[in-house]
Amino acid sequence: MENKTENSIVELASELRWKLGDNFHDRLTESLYTDASEIASAAVEMPGKERNYTLDSKIDRIVTSKRWGFPIMIGILSIILWLTISGANLPSGMLFTLLIETLYPALKNLSESIGLAWWLDGLLIDGIYMAVAWVVSVMLPPMAIFFPLFTLLEDFGYLPRVAFNLDALFRKSGAHGKQALTMSMGWGCNAAGVVATRIIDSPRERLIAIITNNFSLCNGRWPTQILIATIFIGALVPKAFSATVASLSVIGIALLGVGFMFLTSWILSRTVLKGEVSTFTLELPPYRPPRFWQTIYTSIIDRTLIVLWRAIVFAAPAGAVIWLVSNIKLGDFTLADQLIGWLDPFGMFLGLNGIILLAYIVAIPANEIIIPTILMLTVANLNLAGFGAGDGVMFELDSTMDTANVLAAGGWTVLTGINLMLFSLLHNPCSTTIYTIYKETKSVKWTTVASILPIIMGFVVCFLVTQFWYLFS
Amino acid sequence: MSTSHSGCEDCAFHNVNSLKKLGIETNKVDYVVALAGNPNTGKSTVFNALTGLRQHTGNWPGKTVVRAEGAYSYDEKKYKLIDLPGTYSLLSTSQDEEVARNFILFGKPDVTVIVADATRLERNLNLVLQILEITNKAVLSLNLMDEAERNHIKIDQRELAKKLGIPVIETVARSQKGIPQLLSTISDVATGQLVCKPRKVKNLKGMVESSVNKLAQEIEKQFPGLPNSRWVAFRLLEGDERITEAVVNKELLELV
Amino acid sequence: MNPALINLLVFGALVALAWLGYRIFGAKDLLQSKIKQEKTLTEDILKQLFHVEESKSKATLDNLAGALQLKRKSIFSVVENMTQSGLVSLDNNSIQLTEEGRLYALRIIRVHRLWEKYLAERTGHQASDWHMLAEKMEHKLSEEQTLKLESTLGNPMFDPHGDPIPNEMGEMSNVEWTPLPSYSLDLPGKIIHIEDEPEVIYKQILDKRLFVGSHIKLIEQNSNEVKFLCEGVEHRFSSIVAANIHVAELNANEIFEENALRLSALTEGEQAEVIGLSKECRGANRRRLLDLGILPGTAIEIDLKSPLKDPVAYRVRNTSIALRKSLSDLILINRS
Repeated sequence: MENKTENSIVELASELRWKLGDNFHDRLTESLYTDASEIASAAVEMPGKERNYTLDSKIDRIVTSKRWGFPIMIGILSIILWLTISGANLPSGMLFTLLIETLYPALKNLSESIGLAWWLDGLLIDGIYMAVAWVVSVMLPPMAIFFPLFTLLEDFGYLPRVAFNLDALFRKSGAHGKQALTMSMGWGCNAAGVVATRIIDSPRERLIAIITNNFSLCNGRWPTQILIATIFIGALVPKAFSATVASLSVIGIALLGVGFMFLTSWILSRTVLKGEVSTFTLELPPYRPPRFWQTIYTSIIDRTLIVLWRAIVFAAPAGAVIWLVSNIKLGDFTLADQLIGWLDPFGMFLGLNGIILLAYIVAIPANEIIIPTILMLTVANLNLAGFGAGDGVMFELDSTMDTANVLAAGGWTVLTGINLMLFSLLHNPCSTTIYTIYKETKSVKWTTVASILPIIMGFVVCFLVTQFWYLFS
Repeated sequence: MSTSHSGCEDCAFHNVNSLKKLGIETNKVDYVVALAGNPNTGKSTVFNALTGLRQHTGNWPGKTVVRAEGAYSYDEKKYKLIDLPGTYSLLSTSQDEEVARNFILFGKPDVTVIVADATRLERNLNLVLQILEITNKAVLSLNLMDEAERNHIKIDQRELAKKLGIPVIETVARSQKGIPQLLSTISDVATGQLVCKPRKVKNLKGMVESSVNKLAQEIEKQFPGLPNSRWVAFRLLEGDERITEAVVNKELLELV
Repeated sequence: MNPALINLLVFGALVALAWLGYRIFGAKDLLQSKIKQEKTLTEDILKQLFHVEESKSKATLDNLAGALQLKRKSIFSVVENMTQSGLVSLDNNSIQLTEEGRLYALRIIRVHRLWEKYLAERTGHQASDWHMLAEKMEHKLSEEQTLKLESTLGNPMFDPHGDPIPNEMGEMSNVEWTPLPSYSLDLPGKIIHIEDEPEVIYKQILDKRLFVGSHIKLIEQNSNEVKFLCEGVEHRFSSIVAANIHVAELNANEIFEENALRLSALTEGEQAEVIGLSKECRGANRRRLLDLGILPGTAIEIDLKSPLKDPVAYRVRNTSIALRKSLSDLILINRS
């Protein structure tokens, strides 16, 4: 009996809703606001002064103006990128000296003095420690500069204006203006860019921003691009122009990424995502003077260290895997040699090679360790004497010339270089980012799409470039 | 009748089970405080100021999407603070709003602190009024008072408190201004030293009012003593499945 | 031959094959509609008969086959089966719905319109896709699922095109409307229904951003075209297109706002007051605008224009909110 009476509430509600028609929600909100206005008019005294004369609106008129809006945005972005790249060099070098050139040999000596088994020493120090140390020294400084700078702009309130200025461009590809910011954040780190998509409050556009963030060439991939561009593209022109041409080609790759981002957004919003709810309202909050030190502190704690921690968690097992594949022997060959042998035909078909593909598989946790892994695998695979520190130990060469020589010995051509640059842009996100995408979307489906889509694009693009290259040469 | 849930009436908190369902551990905590507010009102800054945590806060509408938790002690009592997602309203279908409204209703926090932007009070009151329909134990933190002053906006805090029927504390959370008063007011409301008489929405019109009243009466008949029967009526009229379910399986009895 | 050329050709062939496969796979529904399963076909026939009877005409096997774009013989056996199961009765040459058949048809129409309502309110699908998606869904939902859908949507009475939705018992509100070309001059009215078939004409109306609920006033009419005012914009339609727009007189409590404008037409420096949101503003978008306090009587003005013109930031209740034109088209205002 009781059950019956309770359903009567639900029944009554249904009946009343039928009578009320469609606009109950409208009427209820109107009632709430009537109350709110009543209270506000009794308790709040607004200034009669026009907003047009306030400082906020003066700033707004400049930063969203036709003439200055875009130059200011580009200027600020360039300054941030320049500060990040040039500012990170010194601390990165110091960390490298400390962690890899000083601490690593010290650890090796220590393990030798306590008589650690060779395989345990290799696995722990050459594998795990090395990968983690590498990721920390390469990843930490740029992030510790990039994120605080970005956060300062965010706290000031400038970023919503950027979204406002750029929305028209993003709208055309079915995306949200705020994606401009998550994309820029992705140039720092894709995982952080994915987390930043939380600012997009429309479900469809947020998914688009998450899935396409990987097309932002992240901080871990810039050094790869610069190195390969210097070796292969810079060498195509007279020495005087080589630095300029190399930089231009890297910028070209980054812009190509932006192009792919727009294209993919456009495709996604018109196909798989077209049923997702889409809304657009963008509030432009008042400017607030940021509190400098607090912002720096919280952004390092909140963004930099969290991302770094995740990267370390993933880098450690990858270090172990890298060491193991280079040291486990099947017959006369190491596991790495076997895998390279299997992957090579497919790699060559795409204009890459087996070593590159294997490096991208084992170094999935962080793009930072791609080049060291490639060098290590090349040297080990070819048994080149005089380079590196042994099987399974990642290394980098001080001079670009030496790197070029190792790569040339590995059979690299200009085509391999170009394809590596393309593949570095268009491949699956690093495992830190994949994990973050899953955390943010809580969906295996979208995580899979975000992981697989770019690598398919990478295969197709590299394949086409290679075959056309062969066709015309 | 159903006395199984009344054994906890004399605990400091009597909603352990429903909180557990919402994923909140209440071990060794005396009071649970919810923090609600519009996006970009400095809610996370208030959260940090109260708990001493350093959660990142940005000048963005909608920064905190996941629920953050923190704890602090005041007057020898332990408080757990739950930072709810910032929302413009609690009436819509988005996930954030669902999390926030279900927490305030089913989690029965001992106090709900509502952070409002003093420079946009009218819009913030929309949310405040909705929360006051759900809970009687609320404190309004009128934040960003420095900005209001900069923009020459004057707020009669007493008048506001009188109209809303809950304590109103002016704060500038960035510089810790008003935080001590906020802490002591939270404690007063939590311990019951200060009893709120929150305003219920008055301007319901015509059909809406009669329908809500009719439904609320029916709800009170089945769940006597339910403090937020009008809110339940609002939700049922909007077709909220979670509330419908709570009506059918008598979960609402736990809220009495 | 150059091996690269072979590779490229093979790749091209694979892409073409995949595309072809997609076309065939994607067009499977079309294929199926030729050899429709009996249930689907039965339901489509019932629906068609219902519409024919609503328009007070008679259905024959020939015009039924014509309307469903099928061959006469392919529906013949189905109609025969329907006769046996008591859904239709044959009278001379004309086919009629029995009472049972009529109720069945209403059930299908009910699911169709509820699903369109659902698509409009809860998803991001575009208006031009609603009909096609509902055509598929109407054969799939069970009665229980339909009831649940109805209740989550808040028992709506009308679908997004303005058609009444039958309730569980098959009852629906009776709506009287006049096609726009035959509406009286100078008498303010409102659009209460826009026919979503044929799609070509529907898309043409959607392109002009005319919506159910919009107030209109005829300015000129002749046998070829009509000219009318809607939300501050003058439209000129051929009579064929305009006939798919159905209008009715305003209710006693509705006021025709002669000077109503869309928010998108507001210029910088002007002050305005919100009259309301268009009915076309639905679901999450409508709720968000309401939550932000964009309600009848709210003062609104332009705060900032973005360098590329769209979006525009508006000042509402002391906050600055940027809206795209597609949304500000749906907010009606009065210049003050």
